[in-house]
Amino acid sequence: MELLKGTELTKAYRKKDRKVTAVDRVSFSLQEKEFLAIVGESGSGKSSLLRLIAGLDRPDAGRLYYRGEDYTGKKCGDIGRFLQMVFQDAYSSFDPKMKMLDSVRECGAGKSEEDLRELLKSTGLDEALLMKRPGELSGGQCQRMSIVRALYSGAQILLCDEITSALDVSTQAQIVHVFQQLREERIFSAIFVSHDIALMGELCERIMVMKDGVCVEEGMMQEVIAHPTHDYTKLLIENARKQSF
Amino acid sequence: MKTRSKKTRRQLLIRIGIAAAIAMLLIVVVVFAGAFAPNDPYQTNAAFIRKPPCAEYPLGTDNLGRCVLSRVIYGGRTTIAATFFLVAVSFVIGTVIGILCGLFGGIVDRFLMRIADVTLAFPQMVIALAVAGILGGGLGGALIALGITMWVSFARLARSHTLSIKNEPYIQTALLAGKSTGYIVLRHILPNTMAPILTNALTQIGMTMIGISGLSFLGLGVVPPTAEWGSMINEARAYIQIAPWAVLAPAVATIITIIVFNYLGDAVMDYRDL
Repeated sequence: MELLKGTELTKAYRKKDRKVTAVDRVSFSLQEKEFLAIVGESGSGKSSLLRLIAGLDRPDAGRLYYRGEDYTGKKCGDIGRFLQMVFQDAYSSFDPKMKMLDSVRECGAGKSEEDLRELLKSTGLDEALLMKRPGELSGGQCQRMSIVRALYSGAQILLCDEITSALDVSTQAQIVHVFQQLREERIFSAIFVSHDIALMGELCERIMVMKDGVCVEEGMMQEVIAHPTHDYTKLLIENARKQSF
Repeated sequence: MKTRSKKTRRQLLIRIGIAAAIAMLLIVVVVFAGAFAPNDPYQTNAAFIRKPPCAEYPLGTDNLGRCVLSRVIYGGRTTIAATFFLVAVSFVIGTVIGILCGLFGGIVDRFLMRIADVTLAFPQMVIALAVAGILGGGLGGALIALGITMWVSFARLARSHTLSIKNEPYIQTALLAGKSTGYIVLRHILPNTMAPILTNALTQIGMTMIGISGLSFLGLGVVPPTAEWGSMINEARAYIQIAPWAVLAPAVATIITIIVFNYLGDAVMDYRDL
């Protein structure tokens, strides 16, 4: 079943006296329980697209649908009922003055304590960490806690913006494992924005490749990796292979 | 490196502790002035006019035979209370304006910030003198005169910190959680902007004290016979060669109090910057 859909999404920003089109008529869809990767280099418009989907920015053109219902331009609070974001910098996604428990509860008001305990267990986090502040956690712990918070809110869709790019290789693997584990236990979908096509290959079944604000290629992950059609996708895959050696 | 940082932190905490203890002592003395003042500060005595320090009048008497020490203690109540009141009011008004401007921007932000720019273009005392001159003498006039410029530093500080915080991911997370603007301001923006604004408030205490005493000295602040350090210096300067203690006592009290609060503000700022 189609959970999320975006049609002809466009967003332009003013940069000095110039108009820069960050997202140019991009359409996408996300199925239930599906993990979708949006891949591209820096400045390709993937994070801007994610902000549009989350309602943090309003598209200049195009519409967004959740379960067939148009939510374009709706308030963040309404959108937050079905989707949550996981940010690149996990530390800055938590208020430095607040304990983890308060930050997590802020998003999951009225949700059960049992659910929180289960989520912590699934992500391999100690309950004692809830009493700490973000600065007292490691980067990996903080990122896992932000995943816990997003799922504890009851959102069915997670929008993950470069969530592994600030982490070392072993912590990246931990995060991938956490998602694989959670996927077996819970029903949720996710959109991952990343420049790491190899890492996305381990997590997602579908991929969208973006360049200069345009979606240049999309399809099933294995198919695109095995037979890329666009030159830019070929370049990304080639670079990923070189880095793995 | 870590040990050095710990040592510096400890040293700064000791500095803050000492300054805070002296500041508290000053506040306790002026709040409970009745318990510490040896005589009635307003009681004149023709037999003891301009009497040098003695057992009965430890800091001597003034031109009307009033106890200088008692007047310094009661005068401190006026000066310190007025300073705290003005700093607190400027703190609240400036912080609210700054946060709202930073959060919503737009035409109101541009208008208020241009007013702030104009205010900052003139020395604070020049504006205060002009306003106090128009309003006439009295503590109320002096407070309004100084307050007109004082909110600006708080507003600019609160605005700049709000601007840097409002796009932080944790604010966006709160928005996605459906939290209201009021909640975000009270729960996230205010606690995260408080430290620099409070430090600014501490450093403003000394400046405000100089301002209030300065206006009183010029006859634009507290009006005699009310005991206040600036007006006491102004009254006693006419006979400084005969009774220097009547000028020195309030002057030294002003200097010590300003040094203590400035030192406390600096120490807190250094600690925060560590």
